[in-house]
Amino acid sequence: MGRNKNQWIWLAIGAILLLIYPLILTLPFPRHLMIMIFLYASLGLAWNLIGGYAGQISFGHAIFFGTGAYTSTLMLMKGGISPWVGMLAGGLISIGIAFIIGYPCFKLAGHYFAIATIAIGEIAQQWMLNWDWAGAAVGLTLPILPESLINLEFHSSKVPYYYIAFGIFALSILITYWIDRSKLGYYFKAIKGDLEAARSLGIDVTRYKFYALALSAFFTSLCGSFYAQYVLFIDPDSVFPLILSIVICLIATLGGVGTIWGPVIGAFILIPISEFTRIHFGGGGKGTDLIIYGFLIMVISIYQPFGVIGLSKLFKKKEAQ
Amino acid sequence: MPLLEVQELSKRFGGLVANDRINLQVNEGEIIGLIGPNGAGKTTLFNCIAGFYPPSEGTVRFKGENITGLPANEVCLMGIARTFQIVRVFKDMTVLDNVMVGAFNRTNLAAKAKQKALEVLDFCGLSPKKGMLAGGLTIADKKRLEFAKALATAPSLLMLDEAIAGLNQTETAEAVELVKKVRQSGISILLVEHVMEVVMPISDRVMVLDYGKKIAEDAPERVINNEEVIKAYLGDKYHASRRGH
Repeated sequence: MGRNKNQWIWLAIGAILLLIYPLILTLPFPRHLMIMIFLYASLGLAWNLIGGYAGQISFGHAIFFGTGAYTSTLMLMKGGISPWVGMLAGGLISIGIAFIIGYPCFKLAGHYFAIATIAIGEIAQQWMLNWDWAGAAVGLTLPILPESLINLEFHSSKVPYYYIAFGIFALSILITYWIDRSKLGYYFKAIKGDLEAARSLGIDVTRYKFYALALSAFFTSLCGSFYAQYVLFIDPDSVFPLILSIVICLIATLGGVGTIWGPVIGAFILIPISEFTRIHFGGGGKGTDLIIYGFLIMVISIYQPFGVIGLSKLFKKKEAQ
Repeated sequence: MPLLEVQELSKRFGGLVANDRINLQVNEGEIIGLIGPNGAGKTTLFNCIAGFYPPSEGTVRFKGENITGLPANEVCLMGIARTFQIVRVFKDMTVLDNVMVGAFNRTNLAAKAKQKALEVLDFCGLSPKKGMLAGGLTIADKKRLEFAKALATAPSLLMLDEAIAGLNQTETAEAVELVKKVRQSGISILLVEHVMEVVMPISDRVMVLDYGKKIAEDAPERVINNEEVIKAYLGDKYHASRRGH
């Protein structure tokens, strides 16, 4: 019980620090950095539901991110509909897409599922590159609207974006926390552990894989809509690329899959690397962060296959001895 | 009405007939032993009943309902639980969490599943190890956990696929006690073993399979003296010389 209490205290301290962070650090960059960390941590947490808990490795999550970005943007541009409504609509469309992807692909086992998701991701990107109504390769520049919460646009300060990103991040953690302790979480882990055994214990394996992918798609899509409103420009290369899917997967894997805090740790390590190298090397150093990611993943898989979070468990064990 | 009724069940894999028109009944509260030499079709029959293979022909009825060809998860929901010959525990989950997965078969609430799982762990004598990762258990404990997982789904019929094979004498005795305890709690048991010493003392009836066919079904003490059974286990030569005496 004591450990639980400590956990809550640490959680409260962390939340307070993150809430006052933009009030102390007033320059745009530190705020932007933390917004990106929140965004990618949320993406990692969403990916973690299907990839980490249910063990179905997806390299196609950019589809859901892109769907979110394009749905809210197109609804705003073509219909003048609030991005918040667009965000929800994008989430629902992503669930629909998850079903379409899941229906054939869940019949594939292990690596074959991962390969199929790469292929589907590429199809989606090519499609968007050639779809004139949706801006094709030129992309979409969002209209500059008066700043307000309803318009989800803020031009004078990043602080509102910061708190919205924090909200999405907090929601992702709460959802993961709830799933981790509920029937869904147990069933996801059982499916990851042993398909046949899961079946024999009454689990409708395909149905629960769908649930995992649908939840994952929905939250990934929310992040996509937020990204579009934050950057105010989207094109197929920025919201549908394979590399985005891979980075999302890396964040969860580096931190530790199938845990609540793994993806959060992953984002806190990887996103600063990515943002700092971007500043340091500019366009000429594109990919430097990926080289470092690759190296970190190799180190992690050799020495600590459970991710960075596995290290903390190792320390706890030593303490106990 | 029997709890489980298998009628004229056949299962073919290409040209191989793994089960040939099998009839089987399990009544409430019974322990039925299913024995036979390696490759006799015991596990195939198991898989057909539990919904892992669709039978080629024949029907499976459970509590009067036709469950032929139902998927495994629905069969489990109907009240048939099974264990696997090669243990399939969720090795990265704790013993308690393993059993909770089974308990979620009858509830959506984690608190209820946990309560049920703790009861089952206590029943199976696994309580002291509930916090361990299942992958770190000994083979005897893994088999026991396999048993506990199945029991947690709250079945009316428990099908054990060699739950005892490979255990040492003490462990075997404990496992046999456990099986008897389960029966006392009102659950029928279908037991696959190819170790005769285990099946004979606890089974009410024993069914013998050989080359996919049922060659005998009787009380244990009569089955061991059945000529066909002796022939299946020991071959024609022994059978012949025995007759000569």
